[in-house]
Amino acid sequence: MRLRPSSVRVRLTLWYTVILAGIVLALFLAVFFSVRASLIRQLDREVESEFQAVAQSLAEEPNELSEFESEGAGQTFQAMKGNEVLFETPAFKTSGLRMADPATPAAARTIKSPAGTRFRLKTGPAGPDLALTLAVTEEPVHSVLRTLLVIFMLALPAGLALAALGGSIMAGRLLRPVDLMAARAEKISAENLSSRLPVEDARDEFGRMASVINRMLSRIEEGFERLRRFTADASHELRTPLTVIQSVGEVALQENLDAAAYRDRIGSMLEDVARLSRLVDSLLTLTRADAGALALRRKKIDAAQLVSQAVEDMRPLAEEKRQDLSLSAEGPAPVQADEATLRLALVNLLDNAIKYTPASGTIAVKLRARDNETLIEVTDNGPGIPAEHAGRIFDRFYRVDQSRTGQAGGAGLGLAIAKWAVEANGGRIELENREAGGSTFRLVLPHILE
Amino acid sequence: MLYSIGTESPILNILVIEDEKKVALAIKKGLESEHYEVELALTGEEGFFQLSSRPFDLVILDLMLPGRDGTEILRTLRKKDKGTPVLILTAKDTLEDKILGLDLGADDYLVKPFAFPELTARIRALLRRGRGDQAAKLGLADLEMDLVKRTVLRARQAIPLTAKEFELLEYLLRNSGHVVTRDMLARDVWKETLRATPLDNVIDVHIGRLRRKVDDPFSPKLLHTVRGVGFILSETAP
Repeated sequence: MRLRPSSVRVRLTLWYTVILAGIVLALFLAVFFSVRASLIRQLDREVESEFQAVAQSLAEEPNELSEFESEGAGQTFQAMKGNEVLFETPAFKTSGLRMADPATPAAARTIKSPAGTRFRLKTGPAGPDLALTLAVTEEPVHSVLRTLLVIFMLALPAGLALAALGGSIMAGRLLRPVDLMAARAEKISAENLSSRLPVEDARDEFGRMASVINRMLSRIEEGFERLRRFTADASHELRTPLTVIQSVGEVALQENLDAAAYRDRIGSMLEDVARLSRLVDSLLTLTRADAGALALRRKKIDAAQLVSQAVEDMRPLAEEKRQDLSLSAEGPAPVQADEATLRLALVNLLDNAIKYTPASGTIAVKLRARDNETLIEVTDNGPGIPAEHAGRIFDRFYRVDQSRTGQAGGAGLGLAIAKWAVEANGGRIELENREAGGSTFRLVLPHILE
Repeated sequence: MLYSIGTESPILNILVIEDEKKVALAIKKGLESEHYEVELALTGEEGFFQLSSRPFDLVILDLMLPGRDGTEILRTLRKKDKGTPVLILTAKDTLEDKILGLDLGADDYLVKPFAFPELTARIRALLRRGRGDQAAKLGLADLEMDLVKRTVLRARQAIPLTAKEFELLEYLLRNSGHVVTRDMLARDVWKETLRATPLDNVIDVHIGRLRRKVDDPFSPKLLHTVRGVGFILSETAP
């Protein structure tokens, strides 16, 4: 198991404390060793001066060794003449140190006595046939170093604890916006999508993150709103034919009718079944399209042929309303598209134009090329689309006439389907209101890349 | 194929494997009124048993069945019997499902909800298949259509029709005595593959025009509207 605290705050504090401990330890080691070196150097100078003093005394008054008995009581040295001990202080005797080889005079070095005490020891010639060994205890040095160590051992945990506390408080302050955001986000649900995360400072990292999340929430809210509207509209549209079926059936059952009249009632019910069925087909088409589950077989087709065929198919409807439906399509205009869906888009646009253009109006269908695109334009001289509706005209169930009487036609899915159908073919749909009245719906398809 | 006593026309046996009882009974009633003999199987197991016990002239098969899946029944049937026409009748309407069903050896595929006239039209087409009735002429009462010369006569008077009107009348004549729905016309005459394409109004306008040319000046009336269902070409009103 990996030890990993779950709170960012704790993790930050831990990291901070560990790093700080490392730095302090390194600093301490540096101080410790430099103090030690400096104390030893100082001790060496002491050893050197004592050595010189004793050596001088030995050389000048070799017969007054007894003076050392009293003077050198605090000193630790041994003088040798040849291989014999000439003199040694009591301290030297008790220390258990031995004369080193005077033939290898050297700088002072550390020797550990059998009793365990460390001495700084220098051996060297002090005159003709005279060797001197002088030792000074290192005890004061170690005492200083021990004190240093104790101070450090006591100060480090306390210091680190203080640092950890401070770090934790700072991290907590820094992370407070995150906690606030989390608490607020916790309260945001499908029913309460209008609430937003608090932004303390829009310029810092947390503020930017909160802004990004807020924008995402706005998009989700919009999506939910659309879905809610869609569901409400769909159930309204589905309920209308259901209501008709139910009431016609119930009333027919209460009445005493002859066979022909019953047939008529059943026929009336079936009409609404057909309407229901059509609506479900359209909804299913759109839902599948949303899920990307609709299989399209895009291949190279001639848009000119497709347009003229669709126009000819729809022409009878225009003729019934004595509308002038004109076509200008110079072919061939190859596009990469699934024929059935592109036709669906076009037929829906034509259906829409014929439906909403008054009798004796004109509808012009034009196929042309612009830059790298093929345009199919359906222009009518009807009432046009009021600007306030233009943005939503392609929404599902959206109708300029909000009364939903269903007088002029369908459920308001035609343009939504047209939009999807052309987008599924890699194109887009555009709406342009003409100043002279009327509007132009434009299917835009990219040219085939050869 | 059994022959009923006293007539030349054979009685055809149809097995309907369908778990939704209301739908199954409606199909049975409807087909019986068209003079077919109908056997019902309400589970996959039962359908399987029926199929192995006796031959049928046609099988109507649902795909989602309790017990034994429709595709399994079809697969088993096709192992020993390649000839019996099978019509799949299902709510599964994706292209993949259709391809799977036809690949397994089904002869036709109809999606629920379906119009009853469409089911009977398809059954007729399946049973007619391989008999090769390539008539050059079609007719009903005093209405005559010459498919080679592409002319139409009513009471020996030539009636000028547009290409679409001719196709429409031909389709109605081929199904004369039977109701055709707008969906059938959209698919077979207008060659529209997507059900969501709004062609109903277009079809109604064409029917109106055809009626003005073929029926209005003459008697009896032949082209009738069956409210809520579609149209029928028949000497008697439905």
